[in-house]
Amino acid sequence: MKRTVPLMIVMVGGILMMLQYFIPHQYSQVIFNNYLEWAPIVGAFALILGVGSLTRLHTHKIRRKAKNWQYSWAVLIPLFGMPLFGLIIPQSLGGGSDVHGVHDFLFMHIQVPIQSTMFSLLAFYIASAAFRAFRAKSALATILLLAAVIVMLGQVPIGDVFGRWLPNTGLWILRYPNLAAKRAIMLGVGFGMLATNLKIIFGVERNWLGGAGK
Amino acid sequence: MSAVNIWEKMLNVDRRWIFLGIGIVSIVPFLIGFGMPITTTTEVEGIFNYMNELGPDDAIFIGFDFAPGTQAENMPMAVAVMRHAFHNHTSVFMTAYVPLGKGMAVSALDYVTNPKTDGYYERVLFEDWADYREAGITKKDELTAAWESDGNVLSEGAVGWVFEGRDYVLLGYLPLFHLVILGMTGSIETQFPVDYHGNSIGEMPILMEHKSLRDVDLAVTTSGSSACVAWITYAREKIGLPIAFGVTGVMATDYFPYIQSGQIVGQMGGLRGAAEYEVLLKENGITETTDKAFTGMDVQSASHIFIILLIVMGNIAFFAGGFHKQTRLKGRR
Repeated sequence: MKRTVPLMIVMVGGILMMLQYFIPHQYSQVIFNNYLEWAPIVGAFALILGVGSLTRLHTHKIRRKAKNWQYSWAVLIPLFGMPLFGLIIPQSLGGGSDVHGVHDFLFMHIQVPIQSTMFSLLAFYIASAAFRAFRAKSALATILLLAAVIVMLGQVPIGDVFGRWLPNTGLWILRYPNLAAKRAIMLGVGFGMLATNLKIIFGVERNWLGGAGK
Repeated sequence: MSAVNIWEKMLNVDRRWIFLGIGIVSIVPFLIGFGMPITTTTEVEGIFNYMNELGPDDAIFIGFDFAPGTQAENMPMAVAVMRHAFHNHTSVFMTAYVPLGKGMAVSALDYVTNPKTDGYYERVLFEDWADYREAGITKKDELTAAWESDGNVLSEGAVGWVFEGRDYVLLGYLPLFHLVILGMTGSIETQFPVDYHGNSIGEMPILMEHKSLRDVDLAVTTSGSSACVAWITYAREKIGLPIAFGVTGVMATDYFPYIQSGQIVGQMGGLRGAAEYEVLLKENGITETTDKAFTGMDVQSASHIFIILLIVMGNIAFFAGGFHKQTRLKGRR
């Protein structure tokens, strides 16, 4: 029962939605509209589950004084602090999402700089990694290296200094060899997704059930 | 010191020197500002030309489908498209696929309507022009004329008025946004009964003229993740909504197949794509100056050259030192 019911729900729901997409009848549309209303509600419960699980994990760490338990406060305080300012505390007291609100201040002056800084650090590590790893050790590695150099130069205005052939060659690499490779990968991934979905719908793949599937 | 040792030392250079070099080439071009010319590509021209055909009766979506991490690349794209739409009096719906995208949309709108920005637009809030709506004045030219005849004058430096609810609406973020896209193919109002500020969408002229995605002419998704593909899957393939991508440089290579298949009208790839759009805006007299992306391209030029020099130096040391004959190198290489 514990696994038969979920398997049945997935099979019926999966087949129903698959057929619905190809049937332009009003009853089919009703099913679709119901699904659109239901799915966010289910998603909201998943959110509650996620927040609950995260809170339990970190409060447990703090209580047990586990390794690096102090960082758990860095998770819990923003996790509850931001919604508090955004939803509960009125705008007049610095809450809400008004320009002068505390919620907006925290977002613009803490979250935005933190994320931008983290992403910017990539430039430093990419430079270091390029110096140490980009070696023309073989014919294929040399092709990769040359293509990378041409595309890198072709993407910036200074590439034009070497002549129009350089940006044009960079664009040719992107528009043809790159496109062919990407399309092949996308097709492969697409067929893989289709096969996996069918396996889940028909109950062949049961890992998503966790322990209950075994 | 033998020659081999020099090459070995070179290969084992402390990475902090590399970090310092990147830091210098990232800062100096900002201070000097080379302003090197940028040529435009068909991928970006495709979006620009499509946008240029749109007028006051048309509407676009700008999807702020990115988080602050990629705002350096994505934000200039969104800002450039928003300026273009405002210039042509094309209505703009702003949405966010990710929670933090809502804040990015607010920032973009604040930037375009900030008096400190060159060629800014003066914003009129929804409640400020309620009397005109009640009087049935909602067409852009009539509204602007009535607004100015009542003594409202554009501030110095402003290039036009933008009326909230007529020229733009900030819808914001909803969870499971791919389902929201699907839902908006039937009705925008059912998905977003109120906007970001709590105004009723149903009272807005922008929604009265464009009730669903079927009445919208283009969706430009600026994205730092694969979120942009959702617009293809759920809007382009279901109702044929034209889509344009503005994606980060590292992602741009992934989406060339969509251009060739005609599923998107064009793509702005990375800061370069945004800079190209800024150049097109300037060349066509839509803006007087280029903006942040164009300035940033000098930094990219310098840092790309620096990285290529590092690669060349690394390979010279690798071969000149005879390390290519060894199966395993010593130390951190």
